[in-house]
Amino acid sequence: MQRKPWLWGLVLVLMISVASGCAGKETQNANNQSDGSKGGESTKGAVELSFWYGWTGPEAAALEKIIAKWNAANPDIKVKGLSQSDYQKQLTAITGGNPPDIASNFGQDVVPWGERGAMMPLDDYIKKDGVDLSDYITAALSTSQGNGKTYALPIAMHTTMLFYNKDVLAKAGFDGPPQTISQLKEYITKLSVKQDGGRLQQLGLWPGVDAFTFTNAFGGSYYDADAKQVTPDNAGVKSAIQLAKGIWDQFGSEELDRFASGLGQYMSAQNPFFTGKYAMTIDGEWLPTFIKQFAPNLNYGIAPIPYDDNNPNLKNPGNVTTSVFYIPKGVKNPDASWKFLKWLTEPEQMGEFTAALGNLPTRASLLDDPIYANVPGFKEFLTYSQSPNLHSFPATAFANEYMTEFTDQYNAILRGKIGIDEGLKKVKDKIQPLVK
Amino acid sequence: MSDSASMKLSAKRKGWTRREWRYFWLGLLFASPWIIGFLVFTVYPFFSSLYFSLTTYDLFNPPQWVGLDNYKQIMTDERFYKSINNTLFMAFISVPISLASSLIIALMLNFKVKGINYYRTIFYLPAVIPVVASALLWTWMLNPDFGLINMFLRAVGLPDPAWLMDPRYTKPSLVLMGLWGSGAGALIFLAALQGVPQQYYEAAQVDGANGWHRFWRITIPALSPIILFQLIMGLIGAFQIFTESYILAGGKSVSGSIGGPDQSLLFYAVNLYQEAFMNLKMGYASALAWILFIIVMAITLVLLKTSRRWVYYGGE
Repeated sequence: MQRKPWLWGLVLVLMISVASGCAGKETQNANNQSDGSKGGESTKGAVELSFWYGWTGPEAAALEKIIAKWNAANPDIKVKGLSQSDYQKQLTAITGGNPPDIASNFGQDVVPWGERGAMMPLDDYIKKDGVDLSDYITAALSTSQGNGKTYALPIAMHTTMLFYNKDVLAKAGFDGPPQTISQLKEYITKLSVKQDGGRLQQLGLWPGVDAFTFTNAFGGSYYDADAKQVTPDNAGVKSAIQLAKGIWDQFGSEELDRFASGLGQYMSAQNPFFTGKYAMTIDGEWLPTFIKQFAPNLNYGIAPIPYDDNNPNLKNPGNVTTSVFYIPKGVKNPDASWKFLKWLTEPEQMGEFTAALGNLPTRASLLDDPIYANVPGFKEFLTYSQSPNLHSFPATAFANEYMTEFTDQYNAILRGKIGIDEGLKKVKDKIQPLVK
Repeated sequence: MSDSASMKLSAKRKGWTRREWRYFWLGLLFASPWIIGFLVFTVYPFFSSLYFSLTTYDLFNPPQWVGLDNYKQIMTDERFYKSINNTLFMAFISVPISLASSLIIALMLNFKVKGINYYRTIFYLPAVIPVVASALLWTWMLNPDFGLINMFLRAVGLPDPAWLMDPRYTKPSLVLMGLWGSGAGALIFLAALQGVPQQYYEAAQVDGANGWHRFWRITIPALSPIILFQLIMGLIGAFQIFTESYILAGGKSVSGSIGGPDQSLLFYAVNLYQEAFMNLKMGYASALAWILFIIVMAITLVLLKTSRRWVYYGGE
C-alpha cells in the first residue's frame, strides 16, 4: 500500500493541538496544588516573583525604587515589577491559572474578587507573623475585609475635605469656612452669583456633591450587615441626597448644564476652583499638589466637611477609598509572595511610597511622620485621617453593582427624572436580591 | 459537508476515484490550520457562551444553571434599554450620515484633476490611525475651551457646545469623529465608481440626461451593491461600538459607573463589558451578547430581504 504522508501530517497537527491542550491543564493543576501545600521547598534557588501594579509614569518609578531596595536586600527572592494598569488582565491571568505573584488593585474590587475566590485570604499569614492590623485606619482596612477574612492590605487611601477660596469668601463677607451644613447652604446661596438675567457666573459649590461623603455627616449607612439588608433608603442616605437635591433645584439642571459647559478641564489652570468659578469645592488630598502646579497663587484654605447641626457628634465626616496589594489565587510561592507583601506594607515602605505619590497612608502610626512634611496640604489631611467618622462604602461582593446603580439613580433624582423615594426603592429592589 | 459534495458528484458518476479522495484530504490538510482555529476560537466560544448565558458564572466558581433567568432579568434592566437607545442612535443616525459623506468624498475623488492621488491619500489617511489614537486626538479637538472646533465656532459667532461633557452633544461628537474616518468607506466607493462602464454615461448624455439624472439613474444603481455592503458593515460596527466611549467617557471611575455624562455614551458593548468584567457577571453578559447577536442578525436579514427592491447587480 502506498504511504500517505499527508495523512500523518494531519494526525500530527491534531496530536500537537491535543497535547498542548493537555499541557496547559497540567500546569494549571500544578499551580493549584502548590497553592494548597504552601510550597516550602521553593527556596532551593532564587525565586522570581512577578508583581503587577496599576501605577504608571513617575508613580511607577517611585514603586520601582522600592522594589530595587527589596531586591538588593533579598537575593533569594527576586521581584520583577510590571506596570499593568489594565486590571482586567489580572482577571484573565488568575482564571487562566497563571497569575502574577503579587498585584495591586482598587479597594472596591477586593471583596467582590476575594469572596469569589480570586484572592488568597491572608489571615493565617497575618496571625503567624503577628502583623498588627490595629495600626491600620479602620475605614481603610474595612475595604479589604469581608465575612471575617482579610483578602488584601491597603497601601494608600484617599479622602475628601472642603476647599475654599479665601478671596472669594472674604468678598462675600465671610472670614472662615462653613462649619455646619446649614451654614454651608447659606454660604452657597450667598457665594453664587447670577448676572445678565439670571445666568450663573459663579457657584458656591457644585451641587452634585459626593453622596457617600455626606451620608457619613448624617450618620447614614448603605448596608446593614446583621440584617443582610441593603439600605439605600436609610434616613442618613436620604438626608444626603435631599441636601444635594435642595442645592441643585436652587439653580436647575438647565442652568447648571449651561454653567458647566463653560468650565475648564479639571487638571489644568482652568479648573473652576482655581479660577474662582467655584467658591468652594470638595476634593481629595491630591488637589493641593495640583494647585501648587497649576495655580500657585491661589489663596485657599482646607477645612473639614461641614457637619449636620443635629448630629454635632459626627464632626469630620468623610468617605475613604483605597489602593491595595493582594496575592492572587493559584500563585506558585505564596510564602515568598507574602514575605514581599508584608515588607511592602511595613511603615517604612508605605511612608516612602505614599509620600512620593502624594497619597494618604493607611497606617495610623504614619500620620505624624516627617516624611510628609513637604507634601502640600497634608497637614490638614493627615489630621483629618484620624477622624472616627471616616467610613468606606460597605465592602460586599456586590459593591460595584451597588455603587453603579446608586450613582445612576442619584443622578436621575438630581435631574428630577424620578422622585427620591422611588429612585432609592429601585436601588434596593435591584441590589437586595444579590445579597447572599 | 462531504456528503452533499459527494452527492452532487454521484449524480454524474459513481463515487470518487482514489485520486479525488486524495485531493480532498490534502485540501482539508492545507485548510486545517484555519479549520482548527475556527473550531477552537469561534465555534467553541460561540456555543459555550450560549451555555453560559443560561447560568450564573463569575469566572472563579463553576457556573450554575439558572435557565432563562438572565434573559428575564435583562428585560427589566434599565441600563439595557438605555444602552439599546444609545446604540440605535449611532446605528440609524451615524451610519447613514457617514455613508453619505463617504459617497460624496468618493465622487469628489473621482474627478480627474491634477494631483488627485495626493487628495486620495489625504482623505484615506485618518483610516490608518488607530481608534484609540484618534479618540484621544478628538478629545483635544472637542475641548470646550481650547479645542480647535470651538475656537472656530466662536470665531464665526456660533454657539460653542461643551461636546463631550454635555449629554446632549456626546453622541453627535462621536458622529463627527466618525465622519473624519469616512475616507475608508470612500475608498471602496471610489473603486466601485471606477468600475461603472463609461458607455452608460455616454449613452445617457446622448439622450440628454443632465448630471443629476446621471447620478440618480446610473451611479446610484451601479453602486447599490456596495451601498448595501457598507450599510451592513456599518450597522454591525455601530452595534459593537465600544472603544470611543471607553476612551472618551473614562474607564473606571470612583463611582464604578462608566458611560459618560448622564450615561449618554453607555452603548450596548460598554454595558456588556461592565457586566462581564467589572461586575463579574459572565452569564448575564453572555445573555446580553446573544441578544445583540439576534438583533444584528435580524437587522441584517431584513436588509438583505428588502435589498432586492433597490440593489441592482450588473448581470440582471
